[in-house]
Amino acid sequence: MKEIKILNFDMLEKLLEGIEKPGRYINTEIGVRSKNPRVEENGGFDSKILMALVFPDIYEVGMSNLGIQILYDIVNKYENFTAERVFSPWIDFEKKLREEKIKIFSLENRIFLDCFDIVGFTVQHELLYTNILNMLDLGGINIYSKQRDERSPIICAGGPAAVNPQPISKFMDFFVIGDGEEIIIHILQVLKVYKESRKEKGWFLKEISRLDGVYVPEFYKFYYYPDGRVKKIEPEKKIKKAVIKNLDEFKIVSNPVIPNIKTIHDRFIVEIMRGCSRGCRFCQAGFIYRPVRKRNVESLVRQSVEGLKNTGYDEISFLSLSSSDYGEIEQLIRDTISLYHSSQTVRLSISLPSLRLDSFNLKLMELIQTGRKTGLTFAPEAGSQRMRDIINKNIKESEMIETIKMAFDEGWEKIKLYFMIGLPFESEDDVREITELIERIIAAAREKLPRKKLSRLKINVSINAFCPKPFTPFQWISQDHPENLQMKFNYILKNVPKRYVDIKWVDPYKSMIECALSRGNEFVCDVIEYAWRGGAKFDNWSDFFNFNIWEESFKRAGLDAGFFTTAGFSEDEILPWDVIDIGVNKKFLLKEYDKSKKCAAGYKYNTAGYNKI
Amino acid sequence: MQPGINIIQQVIIRFKFYKKEEFKYLSHLDIVRILCRALNRAGFNVAYSSGYNPKPKIRFSAPTPLGIESFAEYGEVTLNDNIDGNEFKERINKELNNKMQVVEAKKLSGKTDSFMNEIAVNLYTFALDVASSTKPLLEKFYGSIWEGLIEKSDFMGSIYRYEMLPSKESSNIVFLKIYGYAKIFKEKNNDFFKFNNFYLFLKECLKEYRICIGNVKKEESFALDGNGIKAMQI
Repeated sequence: MKEIKILNFDMLEKLLEGIEKPGRYINTEIGVRSKNPRVEENGGFDSKILMALVFPDIYEVGMSNLGIQILYDIVNKYENFTAERVFSPWIDFEKKLREEKIKIFSLENRIFLDCFDIVGFTVQHELLYTNILNMLDLGGINIYSKQRDERSPIICAGGPAAVNPQPISKFMDFFVIGDGEEIIIHILQVLKVYKESRKEKGWFLKEISRLDGVYVPEFYKFYYYPDGRVKKIEPEKKIKKAVIKNLDEFKIVSNPVIPNIKTIHDRFIVEIMRGCSRGCRFCQAGFIYRPVRKRNVESLVRQSVEGLKNTGYDEISFLSLSSSDYGEIEQLIRDTISLYHSSQTVRLSISLPSLRLDSFNLKLMELIQTGRKTGLTFAPEAGSQRMRDIINKNIKESEMIETIKMAFDEGWEKIKLYFMIGLPFESEDDVREITELIERIIAAAREKLPRKKLSRLKINVSINAFCPKPFTPFQWISQDHPENLQMKFNYILKNVPKRYVDIKWVDPYKSMIECALSRGNEFVCDVIEYAWRGGAKFDNWSDFFNFNIWEESFKRAGLDAGFFTTAGFSEDEILPWDVIDIGVNKKFLLKEYDKSKKCAAGYKYNTAGYNKI
Repeated sequence: MQPGINIIQQVIIRFKFYKKEEFKYLSHLDIVRILCRALNRAGFNVAYSSGYNPKPKIRFSAPTPLGIESFAEYGEVTLNDNIDGNEFKERINKELNNKMQVVEAKKLSGKTDSFMNEIAVNLYTFALDVASSTKPLLEKFYGSIWEGLIEKSDFMGSIYRYEMLPSKESSNIVFLKIYGYAKIFKEKNNDFFKFNNFYLFLKECLKEYRICIGNVKKEESFALDGNGIKAMQI
């Protein structure tokens, strides 16, 4: 039996001396539910399966993620299993740990990472890959699956940035694709048998590979053409995504772990719907989380209020990919407010991320608004109707301007706009129309706002570089070159009226690396390892992203980042992520891609702007 | 609703609490947030300020530096329920971690000063980690602190009390207690006794004599009482 080693409090105190925000590394939160080895009968942890739920970013980010709370809740409901949380240490604490030669440990009982039976990473985006390697290394665990022996924990990953497992396939023993709620328990049950009967790791992997949603890289072999494209995948049978059919079978997490320190989203989070039926062609989440499943409104109201009472939060967030598409959204809000206020006098605030704003939903915003009217967010994504047709973003400019005018009438003052550049089939005119749309919004403000308010007007514009992702109709598309993207952005920056506009822009080289990683094959594993050894971590933080390291790492691995980005893929080739059946078939994606091509060709530009032919 | 029937009776509860062990790593703002949520969970009707962005009517004594245990934290909350201190204490403690508990709570009558004005001086204790054989060294160390205090703080004989007490658990550990006289800080605008400044000074002395300290604690708060000070009452 493996010995479970724990960092004692005295040692923790020594480590925390001079460390920024030490509250990140302590465990005294309300809602903690992992088992306590000191009060357990049957000899503490010996009879339990120990799972580390790892979020490869800092505490404040990880604790804002609902996924980790869901899994934590489910695993800890079982007497035989216990789950503890592990987050990435910040730079200063990592330095201290490395200096003192101390491995990273879980929050709950401060168990060292390599003492767990299984370590599961939740991967929210590709720029966290280097953090995964860093955390394995800090845990004293070999980063390569093949070099880990039976004493090492089983390492796995899931989440949206693991739907294409290839770029991190050499580091993981297996992947979970799809919804984790049911499958995690099946896996832990097999793991218990494996641990108790002292079978081989191969037996365990073989057993779980029978489950829908489990991908074991070592059971698959990829063959390549000399140019690096996939020739064949063996066996041909794809891994089917795990799907839970009925969300209501799983109650919402009404007693989550409540962070002690301030997190990014410090509120009670409730998932009201999974999946999205909008079909925006650029949006990976819109495809990988299908089908659309919604929770029953009555039980949502009841469970939400119960959760608010359990946690003491006075803010709730109704989470989904498109909350305006939840049929009973107004009822949900009204009933939650009235049930909450039947017993509480505290003012409840409600947030609706991803609310598509139109004249109807503006009334919803009024309903949930407490205190000062702050900002409204619109995501037209593109400036021209042509481009919105291409990406299937179903929003009309006239409708949007009407809503904004109405919002100004109602007293809203701040507007936030999201755009993307580098979208497929983009022309100069499409980019110019972004600035023109912003100008028309300013014109609407001039028309509606009194002079005093107009002088205060701030329109926050956020411009992102489009990054084509696997399992979308644009998965084949060539990504725009970073230099082009920079030119397009410079054009926008030069041409928007700066008096009213604050503009934000993401480093296009970062988008390039994100794209290369997300569409990567197994050889990209080496790039990630080199980048990490070269010092890359927290690549999603602008202060830390270093393009040179990545450029060097691609070179060292003998790869060209352009192969995964600007080159694009052809429609008839086998893609590295074709080993996964995400639930939306390739034919459908191709049909959607063809539609976007038709949209692109269906417009003619003249002096009055784009017109349909 | 019939007018006149639902007159809400507001009470102000003043309470003293501690934060120890892991909780010393939480900042003042974290503690405030934790307490507000605990109040909600306990089902208290916290009164809110009026205006655009209503805020709960709750206030706290001045922040204790991060990383230091405190047994003298004070808070005051206005509630729309008519309850007494004991009930408050009982209900709130069920919602708090055992590393942060209310030890005393009292319903206030009439208007009171804010803590900022009342609390004049805080008592911090440190454990010195030296071998007992180095007693002469320690005496020199204390002497040097005394001199430093007089020189830097410019308050001559006004130190109220200055004690060195051997700890109960181990003869190797000696507590150094320094009680300052608050009025003097204010009148002479002396920043020296602000915790961080004093801590820096002490660290310098420690470095010089190669002595380690640990277990820094905020033990008690004092209010002015005539020409002296008395332990803070809630």
